[in-house]
Amino acid sequence: MIAQILVGLIFLITLWLIFSEKLNRTIAGFGGATLMVSVGKALQFYDESHAMEAVDFNTLGLLLGMMILVALLEPTGFFQFLAVWAGRFSRGRPVVLLALLGTVTTLVSMFLDNVTTVVLIAPVTILICEILGINPLPFLITEALLSNTGGTATLVGDPPNMLIASAAGFAFNDFLTHALPVVLVVWFAALWLLRHLFRHELAVQPTNVAAVMKLKPHESLDDPKTAWRVLVVLGAAIILFFLEEPLGLSQAFIAMGAASAALVWVRPDINELLRRIEWGVLVFFAALFVMVGGLEASGVLNKLVTLLEHLHAAPPALLGLALLWFSAGLSAFVDNVPITIALIPVLQGLSADGMDVGPLWWALAFGAGFGGNATIIGSTANIIVANVSERTRTPITSDLWNRRGLPVMLLTCALASVLYLLLYTLFTA
Amino acid sequence: MKRKVFSISASSTIREAAALIVEQRIGLLPVLNKQGKPGGVISLSDLLKLELPDFFDLLPDLDFVRDFGAVETTRPTPNQLDRPVTMIMQPITFVEENCGLLRAYALMVKHNLYDLPVVSEEGVLVGLASRVDIAAAILATWKNVEASRP
Repeated sequence: MIAQILVGLIFLITLWLIFSEKLNRTIAGFGGATLMVSVGKALQFYDESHAMEAVDFNTLGLLLGMMILVALLEPTGFFQFLAVWAGRFSRGRPVVLLALLGTVTTLVSMFLDNVTTVVLIAPVTILICEILGINPLPFLITEALLSNTGGTATLVGDPPNMLIASAAGFAFNDFLTHALPVVLVVWFAALWLLRHLFRHELAVQPTNVAAVMKLKPHESLDDPKTAWRVLVVLGAAIILFFLEEPLGLSQAFIAMGAASAALVWVRPDINELLRRIEWGVLVFFAALFVMVGGLEASGVLNKLVTLLEHLHAAPPALLGLALLWFSAGLSAFVDNVPITIALIPVLQGLSADGMDVGPLWWALAFGAGFGGNATIIGSTANIIVANVSERTRTPITSDLWNRRGLPVMLLTCALASVLYLLLYTLFTA
Repeated sequence: MKRKVFSISASSTIREAAALIVEQRIGLLPVLNKQGKPGGVISLSDLLKLELPDFFDLLPDLDFVRDFGAVETTRPTPNQLDRPVTMIMQPITFVEENCGLLRAYALMVKHNLYDLPVVSEEGVLVGLASRVDIAAAILATWKNVEASRP
């Protein structure tokens, strides 16, 4: 009992430190994980070997592999190239530019890290808008919202999806058959709503279309050879993701294999490349896994699952909707990674207790994916475009985000709920 | 070293500083406090930062942009120009009159300066030495170096 109280306290205090941003999340996680193992060793219910087993190396390997591919692609100018291409192709028409930049950001963030995509595309977006003489704000907000939404479609699109896939044993193709159809509908609805919400800004006629037409996309591509090589490897990795089940490959193996193939082919300055890897994120994930392992070993999770036992009586579809809105509501204010990591063992516990949690995993994926759109702090991509916009004449304020992002979050979650109910049998499969 | 130094008081605006630089074709404007002592400097680049949009810093390169379109015609806002110079002035790096040539040159290289304010022992601004002034004074000493024997 003492163990359970102590472990529960350590977990809650760590989560509070992370969510209140009193302490950097990686440092908080690191400290929390160490405390968890220390208490476990002292009370003899959790030790180093258990902690190692608790770490989900499939997720970490997948993340690291994808991070290496992004780090290789980043300096080639590929992201800049895509944004410049979108600018030229739109011929300066604001609505077309909005749709194209939104599409490009979404497609890239379906396979690569959302944050890197937004970090690299947002400055070029501002440049194109400033050249045209139009307000960049609608375009920046749209990029963040659509990349959050689009990332929900694939296994590698967003870290919560990687975590859910690893815990539930979902394959890459499961996301294409279950999440992608919902995201497609929701994405178009979000784009339509954004177009409506920004109708006044988008009605302004650009004054300098000719200047944008002088931009040459290929000139913005600094290292086409490396970009081509990384894209070939990324394409091969995506094909292997499709075939992961028949070939019996793990997601981590495919991602790490692709990363090593790209490294051998490109042969970059390895130290410089490794500096671009977000080690803090990997350490944070590992620390949370160790903490959740402690929760499990101490029996806290069992207690929680017993408390939730009456949920068995609830209609499963309603339970899914409740989880979707619960995780979306939380994701609006805090990082969706700790939310997902904390909810995963609860779902696993319910599953061990005999409940069919298949549909709940998808509800969690949609909630965690779409919820972050609601507020300026809901996702890292939102925070980044807000920071970047401070260098323009129209900085994005929290109040403005609430008036544009929150309706998008509500619409996407409502539509996802309707589709969830309509396609419920699909999610139970 | 130039003894006739143009300077500006701490209560002047950015607009006044820019006008003086344009009128006198100078690159560095010491900002003097009420006692006539330099409290900071305004350089051409401090003023031109207001002309270059902030987001340029975020872009790894701009080589591919042939025409800046509407950016070419954007100017600082009246609010920006009517702020006091103290808002954008940089800390001053100066030397005393008796400072050695090499120290003066090293300071300019280290702080990426093209003009170096020179002050008296009392700390009052007495002149402005340009990089050319100091470099020429150093190079002039080379004529005393003996020619090497064949």
